[in-house]
Amino acid sequence: MLAPFLLAETQPLAPQTLFKLGPLPFTNSMLFGLVGAVFVLGLFGLAAKASRLWPKSRLAFNVETLVDLVYGLMLDSFGDRKKAAKHFPLLFTLFVFILINNLSGLLPGVDSITLTVAGAKISLFRSWTTDLNATIAMAVISLATVHYYALKDIGAKGYLRHFFADSLKNPMTYFIGVNELFGEVLRLVTLSLRLFGVIYGGEALLSAIASLAGNFGWAATLPIMFLEIFVSLVQAYLFMMLTASYIVMSTTHAGSESHSGAATAGSS
Amino acid sequence: MNHVDPAFIKGLTIGLGAIGPAVGVGLIGSSVVGAVGRNPEIQGKILSTAFIMIGLVDAVFAFVLLILFTT
Repeated sequence: MLAPFLLAETQPLAPQTLFKLGPLPFTNSMLFGLVGAVFVLGLFGLAAKASRLWPKSRLAFNVETLVDLVYGLMLDSFGDRKKAAKHFPLLFTLFVFILINNLSGLLPGVDSITLTVAGAKISLFRSWTTDLNATIAMAVISLATVHYYALKDIGAKGYLRHFFADSLKNPMTYFIGVNELFGEVLRLVTLSLRLFGVIYGGEALLSAIASLAGNFGWAATLPIMFLEIFVSLVQAYLFMMLTASYIVMSTTHAGSESHSGAATAGSS
Repeated sequence: MNHVDPAFIKGLTIGLGAIGPAVGVGLIGSSVVGAVGRNPEIQGKILSTAFIMIGLVDAVFAFVLLILFTT
């Protein structure tokens, strides 16, 4: 009865190709990512159109409340209104886009509507953040922004000074510097793998619980659904806050790091 | 060790992999309760930091689930 809405089996690790655009394979996660992007753009376009000094529409009011909430968080972590306003658009876009895509994986029919392509049964939609390519792409965007603004704001010398902070005569400085450079690469890995692992692991957990519970899958998956909603929120928030704290850490001069508020969250 | 049941290894993976994150979340929870008890007026700030930390710790368990369900 409810079988079409429950996940039949765990999705394979790599997204499957729906069709080919020249040499580029178009996968099911790309399709659903596009749907998510169109949804987010439409939502915010409508809200921006209806936005007034005294908003009459409920949608505009709610979206403005969300924007204001996140802007307050950014003000807290940047501690500087001008800087927060400069970086806010990217960070808020990351937050909303990741959140919508995390939550859309829980909608009925997302993984369970299948169609047959070239003899293999593959699902039409797959949540964008359960694809490692997607999370690596977003991590590359956010870290490229971090390094671009680090070079622009404090110059090449200050940028290198972040890695080789101590006296240059001390050989320990070079050892620490190389370690720091390696940590910079590791940030890319942790940022992308954390989001992918949590969301993909959650969906795999849902399908495993559903298959363990048999006929009562609809009841057994309900608490896991709430866990997934919570985890989706936390991961979207975490991606945004980690990017923000990376920006804060790398655009302040080496000597003045002590009063950057959000620096503690970025130490992982 | 010629033949080990894969289900045994999977059970061991999830059992051992759950220890670390469980201890981590427990430590975070106890520090949060302590911190809120000391100065309740900044409860919101403490809780938001705690959620960040829980997200960081939870990721470890997510990797365990990832390995478990994909092999």
